[in-house]
Amino acid sequence: MNSTKTTVASLVEKLRALPKSSVWARRFAALAPLWTLAALFLFFGLASEGFLRPINLRNILTQVSTLAIFATGMTFVLLLGQIDLGIAAVAALSAMLGAHMFTKMGIPEPWPILSGIGVATLLGLISGVASARFRIPTFMTTLAMQLIAGGLVTYISKGRVITEVSDVAAFLGSGKIGGNDGLPVIVIVAIVMLLLGHVILRYTRFGRYVYMTGANKAAARLAGVNTNRVLIIVMTICGFTAGFAGIISMGRLHSAQPDATESFLIDTIGAVVLGGTSLAGGRGSMLQTVVGLLIYGTLRNGLDNIPTIDIYLKEFITGVVLLIALLINTVFAGREQRDQTI
Amino acid sequence: MDVNKQPILELKNISKNFRSIQALQHVDFDLVEGEVHALVGENGAGKSTLMRILAGIYTEYEGSYYLDGKEIQFHSPHDALEHGIGMIHQELSVIPELSVAENLFLGRQPVTRWGIIDWRSMEQVAQKELHSLGFDIDVTMPLERFSLGTQQVIEVFRAILSGARVLVMDEPTSALSPAEVKQLIELVKTLKSQGRSIIYISHFLEEVVQVADRTTVLRNGVSVGTLDSQEATVDRLIGLMLGREITRSTHPEEIGSEYQETLLEIKDLNADVFSDINLNVKRGEILGLYGPIGAGHFDLARALFGLYKFDSGSIILDGKTFPHGHSARYAIENGLAYATESRRKSLLLDDAIYRNITMPHLSKIGTLAPQRAKELAAAVPAIQQVNVNPPDPLNPVGKLSGGNQQKVAIARWLTFPPKVFIMSEPTRGMDVGAKSEVLGLLRKFRDEGYGVIVASSEPETILAVCDRIVVMSRGRIVSRLENKNLDKDALMRLI
Ligand SMILES: Nc1ncnc2c1ncn2[C@@H]1O[C@H](COP(=O)(O)OP(=O)(O)OP(=O)(O)O)[C@@H](O)[C@H]1O
Ligand SMILES: [Mg+2]
Repeated sequence: MNSTKTTVASLVEKLRALPKSSVWARRFAALAPLWTLAALFLFFGLASEGFLRPINLRNILTQVSTLAIFATGMTFVLLLGQIDLGIAAVAALSAMLGAHMFTKMGIPEPWPILSGIGVATLLGLISGVASARFRIPTFMTTLAMQLIAGGLVTYISKGRVITEVSDVAAFLGSGKIGGNDGLPVIVIVAIVMLLLGHVILRYTRFGRYVYMTGANKAAARLAGVNTNRVLIIVMTICGFTAGFAGIISMGRLHSAQPDATESFLIDTIGAVVLGGTSLAGGRGSMLQTVVGLLIYGTLRNGLDNIPTIDIYLKEFITGVVLLIALLINTVFAGREQRDQTI
Repeated sequence: MDVNKQPILELKNISKNFRSIQALQHVDFDLVEGEVHALVGENGAGKSTLMRILAGIYTEYEGSYYLDGKEIQFHSPHDALEHGIGMIHQELSVIPELSVAENLFLGRQPVTRWGIIDWRSMEQVAQKELHSLGFDIDVTMPLERFSLGTQQVIEVFRAILSGARVLVMDEPTSALSPAEVKQLIELVKTLKSQGRSIIYISHFLEEVVQVADRTTVLRNGVSVGTLDSQEATVDRLIGLMLGREITRSTHPEEIGSEYQETLLEIKDLNADVFSDINLNVKRGEILGLYGPIGAGHFDLARALFGLYKFDSGSIILDGKTFPHGHSARYAIENGLAYATESRRKSLLLDDAIYRNITMPHLSKIGTLAPQRAKELAAAVPAIQQVNVNPPDPLNPVGKLSGGNQQKVAIARWLTFPPKVFIMSEPTRGMDVGAKSEVLGLLRKFRDEGYGVIVASSEPETILAVCDRIVVMSRGRIVSRLENKNLDKDALMRLI
């Protein structure tokens, strides 16, 4: 064959159609997000002295912990081919309700925290039931949930910040185990959540049902899976993790603020997708989410560690790097599927 | 065929491998103007692969491609279409919600000088073009109002309107009713008389013999010969395809049922698309539900399995009455198995074969956590039983050829055998060899004392295996017969 043009397109074509000899190349491609992470690490390690110091590495973990809890639930949702646009508002509600009950109403722990998380879980359940029963896309039900939860936050807080939080919340959000240089509790909580999510997805029947339903709902139904129930449970899980993340974030900031969690919606979806989980459902895993989270954290933290970068440019640079990382991931991931989709 | 005619298209010495699988080896293929060139072969022989190379979908292969005598290399299907080569896939790519005219002009809608879609001229042109080919339908109607056969025809027209002079049809008739097949074959003949060249892939060899000027046979990725229309008989083609003889049974062997006990009883079942259905299936018999597409027999099958809502009536399996509105899970647990007519709907194409097989049985394999080793142990015998090729249980199903995917869809029910098998179009898209294997399997189920229901719109399938036949039309049972001394025409006259 005489290939005359060596355009970018044909290069992509080549990468996608690697011959059978290059098994290693395919393995390499399959792990694209991991290489992205390694490249970022290498870059920031060389560009900044502080980056690789243990204390900074611990910082990265602390910084992505709240995001990790959100992402645990979101991974389930995206694997199912659904979306939850309500998480940030639901998290704010969970925090605000908890703080309000504790400070304004004087109810002792654990009731405020449990109520916050409980309400968040309930809202997830409601979105799930509405979507499953009445076939409303989760895009719509959770958008409504965003307004409902956001509205309740405004109503409870009257727009004000509550600057007192319970010891339990503070411990979860900013406590450390083993003295001041010890392991942050928040990191442990995040790891436990991710691990739990991983075990459920990877090793239980329910996890398989999530993948099956996300990949091909008709096929799952033909195999006797109650796909409505799967959807309801997944949305409930996501409500739960959002509520939990709200409490954690409150403990970390030592206050409940109406808009503290706003940016988490985009960040969460971004991190999960960066790890390689597909928005279309059926493809991805909790481990991939971990990689996505680390990419996110590394990038954010790394840019902070390079003093020469104009702080006003940071957001822009983050966006550009994320876009590039996404492109690399999809070019490599797309290679496998291409042949059979036609 | 006119020997001095120059081929417009020639593939020489084509080889293609997918990692470990050699899909094509040194295949030569050519097409002359105004001919219908059929391509036949067993499931997995490489037909679709060859055509995907021809239509610019696979761009990596060995060998050379000549178009009008000049060597050429396509970079995409679009590129191929620009050169006049269009492919019609088995899975339709029309958009049912859009009108017929819009579908015909998808992506190339004529615009007025203001840049707005010129609906009027679009509809006029569409109407005129269809009329010239003998189709008078209202082009402003949404396509979903028309039958699958008409949708297929529209897909063909779309390729022609975008300038295709070579048309590749990959199993165009596998989902059509006999009347629609006739219509399509007429269309193929018309197109041919207009000087277009057509490549026609089909497992229905009678059809092939009827339309093809030449027929090329592939076996295991190798071209084993090209026959002229005089030489091509069904038996010759089968011989070449398989490299061995098979006995084509058109009737079931003597009904060897020593069982009399009724296994499944359906009483007064009513739903929006069928009514007053009374049926029973005995242990050790195959009951055929025959009818044209739209007769309600496929929906009846779904209703039994809990996937289609019925309004009234009862289903009794082995003495147990199903609760109204039972779930598919309930049906499975109580001994029903169902294989649908659409394998795309029932399989996870990216997932390994073994996982597709264990899908409905996860609760039996591990209470909380399904284990891979156990799953493999459950799946492998089923894979062997239906002869999936290649039999590697770790292969993704999407990489199997169409017929082998169908075998996986059936194999999934063999791991934990049910009491009654319900199969809609069990042999759709299968080659003669695989067809006879699957029909053989159905007979084996029967002989082992299961009940089997086969819902089909293909008279051949029904006649080949069923002991009793129930004919449905417009949602009602119109006759019940024993499968004795029946032929295709007699059966088709009943609907
Ligand atoms: N994308 C792919 N990746 C790996 N193997 C493939 C792929 N596509 C096809 N194959 C393999 O190549 C061989 C030829 O497949 P092909 O789809 O061309 O068969 P076919 O003749 O069209 O069969 P059918 O009649 O069942 O549609 C098969 O063994 C199949 O498993
Ligand atoms: Mg094929």
